[in-house]
Amino acid sequence: MSPTRKRINRLPFLQWLAIETGLIVVLSLAWFTESRLAGYSAFVGGLIYVIPNAYFAHRMYRFEGARNAHLVVGNMFRAETVKLALTAVFFAAVFILMEPVHVPALLFTFAVMVVLSPLLRWFIRPQPQR
Amino acid sequence: MEMVIMAAALIIGLGALGAGIGFGLLGGKLLESTARQPELGNQLQTKAFIMAGLLDAVPMIGVGIAMYLIFVVAG
Repeated sequence: MSPTRKRINRLPFLQWLAIETGLIVVLSLAWFTESRLAGYSAFVGGLIYVIPNAYFAHRMYRFEGARNAHLVVGNMFRAETVKLALTAVFFAAVFILMEPVHVPALLFTFAVMVVLSPLLRWFIRPQPQR
Repeated sequence: MEMVIMAAALIIGLGALGAGIGFGLLGGKLLESTARQPELGNQLQTKAFIMAGLLDAVPMIGVGIAMYLIFVVAG
Protein backbone atom coordinates (compact mmCIF):
# COMPACT_ATOMS: atom_id res chain seq x y z
CA MET A 1 0.00 0.00 0.00
CA SER A 2 1.66 3.21 -1.12
CA PRO A 3 1.23 6.36 1.02
CA THR A 4 -1.05 9.05 -0.39
CA ARG A 5 0.20 12.62 -0.44
CA LYS A 6 -3.21 14.21 -0.98
CA ARG A 7 -3.73 17.07 1.47
CA ILE A 8 -6.76 16.63 3.73
CA ASN A 9 -6.18 19.41 6.26
CA ARG A 10 -5.34 23.04 5.53
CA LEU A 11 -2.39 23.96 7.74
CA PRO A 12 -2.48 27.60 8.92
CA PHE A 13 1.32 27.56 8.82
CA LEU A 14 1.90 31.20 7.87
CA GLN A 15 -0.68 32.36 10.38
CA TRP A 16 1.09 30.45 13.18
CA LEU A 17 4.49 31.81 12.14
CA ALA A 18 3.20 35.39 11.91
CA ILE A 19 1.55 35.30 15.34
CA GLU A 20 4.57 33.62 16.95
CA THR A 21 6.93 36.18 15.41
CA GLY A 22 4.65 38.97 16.63
CA LEU A 23 4.72 37.51 20.13
CA ILE A 24 8.53 37.32 20.06
CA VAL A 25 8.77 40.94 18.95
CA VAL A 26 6.43 42.07 21.76
CA LEU A 27 8.43 40.13 24.36
CA SER A 28 11.71 41.45 22.96
CA LEU A 29 10.43 45.03 23.14
CA ALA A 30 9.40 44.42 26.75
CA TRP A 31 12.93 43.18 27.56
CA PHE A 32 14.41 46.01 25.50
CA THR A 33 13.28 48.43 28.22
CA GLU A 34 15.78 46.76 30.55
CA SER A 35 18.70 46.77 28.15
CA ARG A 36 19.49 46.36 24.47
CA LEU A 37 21.25 43.07 25.12
CA ALA A 38 18.21 41.70 26.98
CA GLY A 39 15.93 42.55 24.05
CA TYR A 40 18.28 40.89 21.57
CA SER A 41 18.64 37.80 23.80
CA ALA A 42 14.86 37.56 24.18
CA PHE A 43 14.45 37.63 20.40
CA VAL A 44 17.03 34.85 20.00
CA GLY A 45 15.32 32.82 22.75
CA GLY A 46 12.03 33.03 20.88
CA LEU A 47 13.65 32.02 17.60
CA ILE A 48 15.23 28.97 19.28
CA TYR A 49 11.69 27.73 19.93
CA VAL A 50 9.99 28.78 16.71
CA ILE A 51 12.42 27.24 14.18
CA PRO A 52 12.43 23.63 15.54
CA ASN A 53 8.68 23.86 16.15
CA ALA A 54 8.02 24.90 12.55
CA TYR A 55 10.01 21.84 11.43
CA PHE A 56 7.93 19.68 13.80
CA ALA A 57 4.63 20.97 12.39
CA HIS A 58 5.82 20.51 8.81
CA ARG A 59 7.03 16.94 9.45
CA MET A 60 3.98 15.91 11.48
CA TYR A 61 1.60 16.88 8.65
CA ARG A 62 3.64 15.22 5.92
CA PHE A 63 1.13 12.37 5.84
CA GLU A 64 -2.54 12.51 6.68
CA GLY A 65 -5.55 10.23 6.90
CA ALA A 66 -6.38 6.90 8.52
CA ARG A 67 -4.69 4.94 5.73
CA ASN A 68 -1.34 6.58 6.59
CA ALA A 69 -1.72 6.43 10.39
CA HIS A 70 1.48 4.39 10.83
CA LEU A 71 3.43 6.96 8.78
CA VAL A 72 1.91 9.82 10.80
CA VAL A 73 3.06 8.24 14.09
CA GLY A 74 6.52 7.39 12.71
CA ASN A 75 6.97 10.94 11.45
CA MET A 76 5.76 12.33 14.79
CA PHE A 77 8.48 10.39 16.65
CA ARG A 78 11.20 11.44 14.22
CA ALA A 79 10.03 15.05 14.23
CA GLU A 80 10.10 15.17 18.03
CA THR A 81 13.60 13.72 18.15
CA VAL A 82 14.90 16.24 15.63
CA LYS A 83 13.07 19.07 17.42
CA LEU A 84 14.73 18.27 20.78
CA ALA A 85 18.14 17.84 19.11
CA LEU A 86 17.79 21.13 17.20
CA THR A 87 16.82 22.94 20.40
CA ALA A 88 19.86 21.56 22.22
CA VAL A 89 22.17 22.50 19.32
CA PHE A 90 20.73 26.04 19.07
CA PHE A 91 21.09 26.60 22.81
CA ALA A 92 24.66 25.28 22.75
CA ALA A 93 25.47 27.51 19.75
CA VAL A 94 24.03 30.59 21.48
CA PHE A 95 25.90 29.95 24.72
CA ILE A 96 29.17 29.29 22.90
CA LEU A 97 29.04 31.84 20.07
CA MET A 98 26.93 34.71 21.45
CA GLU A 99 29.00 36.63 23.93
CA PRO A 100 27.64 38.26 26.09
CA VAL A 101 24.10 36.90 26.48
CA HIS A 102 21.32 37.91 28.88
CA VAL A 103 20.35 34.44 30.14
CA PRO A 104 17.12 35.33 32.05
CA ALA A 105 15.69 37.08 28.96
CA LEU A 106 16.69 34.18 26.70
CA LEU A 107 15.20 31.45 28.92
CA PHE A 108 12.12 33.47 29.89
CA THR A 109 11.13 34.18 26.28
CA PHE A 110 11.79 30.56 25.35
CA ALA A 111 9.63 29.29 28.25
CA VAL A 112 6.81 31.72 27.43
CA MET A 113 6.83 30.61 23.79
CA VAL A 114 6.83 26.93 24.85
CA VAL A 115 3.68 27.54 26.91
CA LEU A 116 1.89 29.88 24.48
CA SER A 117 2.52 27.95 21.27
CA PRO A 118 0.27 24.92 22.05
CA LEU A 119 -2.45 27.38 23.10
CA LEU A 120 -2.07 29.14 19.75
CA ARG A 121 -2.34 25.81 17.95
CA TRP A 122 -5.44 25.02 20.01
CA PHE A 123 -7.19 28.25 18.99
CA ILE A 124 -6.03 28.22 15.35
CA ARG A 125 -6.33 24.56 14.38
CA PRO A 126 -5.72 22.91 11.01
CA GLN A 127 -9.05 22.93 9.20
CA PRO A 128 -10.28 20.21 6.81
CA GLN A 129 -9.97 21.14 3.12
CA ARG A 130 -13.26 21.82 1.38
CA MET B 1 31.82 21.18 38.41
CA GLU B 2 31.16 17.41 38.19
CA MET B 3 27.92 17.88 40.13
CA VAL B 4 26.75 20.51 37.62
CA ILE B 5 27.38 18.13 34.72
CA MET B 6 25.57 15.38 36.65
CA ALA B 7 22.62 17.71 37.22
CA ALA B 8 22.46 18.58 33.51
CA ALA B 9 22.65 14.90 32.59
CA LEU B 10 19.80 14.10 34.99
CA ILE B 11 17.67 16.94 33.60
CA ILE B 12 18.17 15.83 29.99
CA GLY B 13 17.90 12.11 30.76
CA LEU B 14 14.76 12.24 32.88
CA GLY B 15 13.18 14.75 30.50
CA ALA B 16 13.88 12.45 27.55
CA LEU B 17 12.50 9.47 29.51
CA GLY B 18 9.28 11.32 30.29
CA ALA B 19 8.89 12.60 26.74
CA GLY B 20 9.60 9.10 25.39
CA ILE B 21 6.94 7.47 27.57
CA GLY B 22 4.45 10.22 26.78
CA PHE B 23 5.03 10.10 23.04
CA GLY B 24 4.85 6.30 23.07
CA LEU B 25 1.46 6.42 24.78
CA LEU B 26 0.26 9.25 22.52
CA GLY B 27 1.34 7.49 19.32
CA GLY B 28 -0.10 4.17 20.47
CA LYS B 29 -3.45 5.71 21.33
CA LEU B 30 -3.49 7.60 18.03
CA LEU B 31 -2.97 4.37 16.07
CA GLU B 32 -5.51 2.51 18.19
CA SER B 33 -8.23 5.14 17.91
CA THR B 34 -7.61 5.68 14.18
CA ALA B 35 -8.00 1.94 13.65
CA ARG B 36 -11.26 1.97 15.61
CA GLN B 37 -12.77 4.98 13.84
CA PRO B 38 -10.90 5.78 10.61
CA GLU B 39 -13.32 8.59 9.72
CA LEU B 40 -12.02 10.57 12.72
CA GLY B 41 -8.40 10.19 11.62
CA ASN B 42 -7.87 13.87 10.76
CA GLN B 43 -9.38 15.19 13.97
CA LEU B 44 -7.34 12.71 16.00
CA GLN B 45 -4.16 13.76 14.21
CA THR B 46 -4.84 17.42 15.00
CA LYS B 47 -5.49 16.60 18.66
CA ALA B 48 -2.33 14.49 18.84
CA PHE B 49 -0.39 17.40 17.31
CA ILE B 50 -1.67 19.82 19.98
CA MET B 51 -1.01 17.31 22.76
CA ALA B 52 2.52 16.73 21.45
CA GLY B 53 3.18 20.47 21.88
CA LEU B 54 2.02 20.33 25.50
CA LEU B 55 3.85 17.07 26.17
CA ASP B 56 7.31 18.29 25.20
CA ALA B 57 7.03 21.65 27.00
CA VAL B 58 8.85 20.55 30.16
CA PRO B 59 11.64 18.54 28.41
CA MET B 60 12.26 21.51 26.08
CA ILE B 61 12.68 23.93 28.99
CA GLY B 62 14.84 21.27 30.68
CA VAL B 63 17.10 21.12 27.62
CA GLY B 64 17.50 24.92 27.73
CA ILE B 65 18.42 24.91 31.42
CA ALA B 66 20.76 21.93 30.97
CA MET B 67 22.60 23.66 28.13
CA TYR B 68 22.95 26.74 30.34
CA LEU B 69 24.41 24.59 33.12
CA ILE B 70 26.84 22.84 30.78
CA PHE B 71 28.08 25.79 28.73
CA VAL B 72 27.79 28.76 31.11
CA VAL B 73 27.92 27.48 34.71
CA ALA B 74 30.39 24.63 34.18
CA GLY B 75 32.06 25.97 31.03
